[in-house]
Amino acid sequence: MTVDTVQIAALAPLLLISGAGCLALLLDTFKRARGPALWLAQLGCLAAFALVASQWMRATSSQPIWAGMWVVDRMALFLDGVLIGTAFLTLLVAAPFMREHDFAHGEHHALVLFATAGMMTVVHATHLLSLLIGIETMSLAAYLLVASWRRQPAGAEGALKYLLLGAFAAGFLVYGTALVYGTTGGEMSYAGIAARAGQAADNPLFIVGVYFLLTGMLFKIAAVPFHMWAPDAYEAAPTPVTGLMAAGIKVAAVGGLVRLLGTAFANPGLALGHAGWVRVLGGVAFVTMTWGNLAALRQDNVKRMLAYSSIAHAGYLLIGLVALGQRVDGAQPALLVYLAAYAFTTLGVFAVVAWVGRRDDERVLVHEWAGMARTRPAVALVMTVLLLSLAGVPPTGGFFGKFYVFRAAMQSPDLAWLVVAAVLNSLASVYYYLRIVVAMYFSESVRSWQPFRSAGIAIVLVVTVVVVLALGLVPRPVVELAAGGLITGW
Amino acid sequence: MPTYAYILVSLALFFVGTAGVLLRRNVLIVLMSVELQFAAGTLALLTFSRALGDQKGHVFAFFVMALAAAEAAVGLAIVVSVFRTRRTASLDEVNALKG
Repeated sequence: MTVDTVQIAALAPLLLISGAGCLALLLDTFKRARGPALWLAQLGCLAAFALVASQWMRATSSQPIWAGMWVVDRMALFLDGVLIGTAFLTLLVAAPFMREHDFAHGEHHALVLFATAGMMTVVHATHLLSLLIGIETMSLAAYLLVASWRRQPAGAEGALKYLLLGAFAAGFLVYGTALVYGTTGGEMSYAGIAARAGQAADNPLFIVGVYFLLTGMLFKIAAVPFHMWAPDAYEAAPTPVTGLMAAGIKVAAVGGLVRLLGTAFANPGLALGHAGWVRVLGGVAFVTMTWGNLAALRQDNVKRMLAYSSIAHAGYLLIGLVALGQRVDGAQPALLVYLAAYAFTTLGVFAVVAWVGRRDDERVLVHEWAGMARTRPAVALVMTVLLLSLAGVPPTGGFFGKFYVFRAAMQSPDLAWLVVAAVLNSLASVYYYLRIVVAMYFSESVRSWQPFRSAGIAIVLVVTVVVVLALGLVPRPVVELAAGGLITGW
Repeated sequence: MPTYAYILVSLALFFVGTAGVLLRRNVLIVLMSVELQFAAGTLALLTFSRALGDQKGHVFAFFVMALAAAEAAVGLAIVVSVFRTRRTASLDEVNALKG
């Protein structure tokens, strides 16, 4: 393998993001310059976004680089765009949030960028080594971000639970990699594993390895029964970080799973019993969405409710992955549309939650939101639109995400039951999303309402609500982006 | 020793580590159990690498070592931070977040 300019150029967005992160860290350490560190981080995001867009225009075929460790294709670049957008919006919310809650750490901005670099690595990875490095870069930065809010007494506790279970998941990833490597005769690249998987399929160690890898990834998307960390970490984290975790980490982990399951384990000879991991994942999808919604029904804390809602969304996303495993055309672009709609909706929702809380008064209980529509009608309206998108009500992006994923799943007769269960689940979820809306519009305010002013949060709210509504009213351009410019069978 | 013996040892290590994470309540012991899982993965990687005459397993093992060190550094920082507020390293007593 030779390192040439083509390979460096392919990595340019990643290098920009991590380079901006390093510079922001240095600025904070040596100059105590927090404002410039933030601008630098945001500038890095914008430049990386522009680079990703130009790469998307040129990436007509998938380009493997670094000896098959990394691939540049339109799926990865689409997700890169979503991830960089997530990081940019997170930084916009984080700056006023940190000012209000008095915990200025310059390393916060650097860690957001490092986490983003990890997420981008995950969606580009075509090798178990690059997958592990990406997952861990993203997770280590996220543990620290969760712990960064020292005023929140539970902050360190949430981070501790997240770290212990995250490290546990990493152990499964490492051991699963070792078993797959040994039983496929020394293969670690997805293409190599796919080529040898047929011969190894009956080896019990190989089967254990596949399920260990799946377990490690399911921890990251917070699928039941590997979701225990999510509500605690989401509640304890500073709210902008919760948004980054709910949107970015989920997008990255699902993107990594799409690639892993769609290439390495896509071989139909990889039986593992009838239909193999496809059947297991179908069961996990059902349990995840049902458990997530049932648990969300009895939450009074908005952040915890949204944590369980994100678990339920992991379940819907798993249906798309199962459809991908059944080789349904259009499952992959459907998942990408879902991820984009979900990421922007979630970011907007958490921006509202961040905006509502004041110093030492986080105001995260549903009844504390009472009467918000009277004093702040615009924000109440934005929150309502975003919650309807999470529930999957038209005309929002959340509706089309669900619609495309469920339509893809319907093409496989084995999955009809899952789609029926998912639609029933979506109906049940409307109840707890509407609880917040009802509190905002139809309850009397119990306390005087004094949210803080912030241009950054206002921008995020406008951007997310416009993206969500645009996706719901004219989904076609995003669908074309997700499908890589080619629409077949849509 | 034949290859399978090393793999059996690594499997045993992995399950000791898993059991430690699930059963022990002291944060430090849990972190040590996670390290045991990484060690098991490293041993299996090295065994396969030797048996197959392939270098990728060796390289991967180096990355796992770096990863374990990073995980321990971040982990201990967070444990210290918890200990400062709670004066305990027991997972049973770290229970402010519920539901």
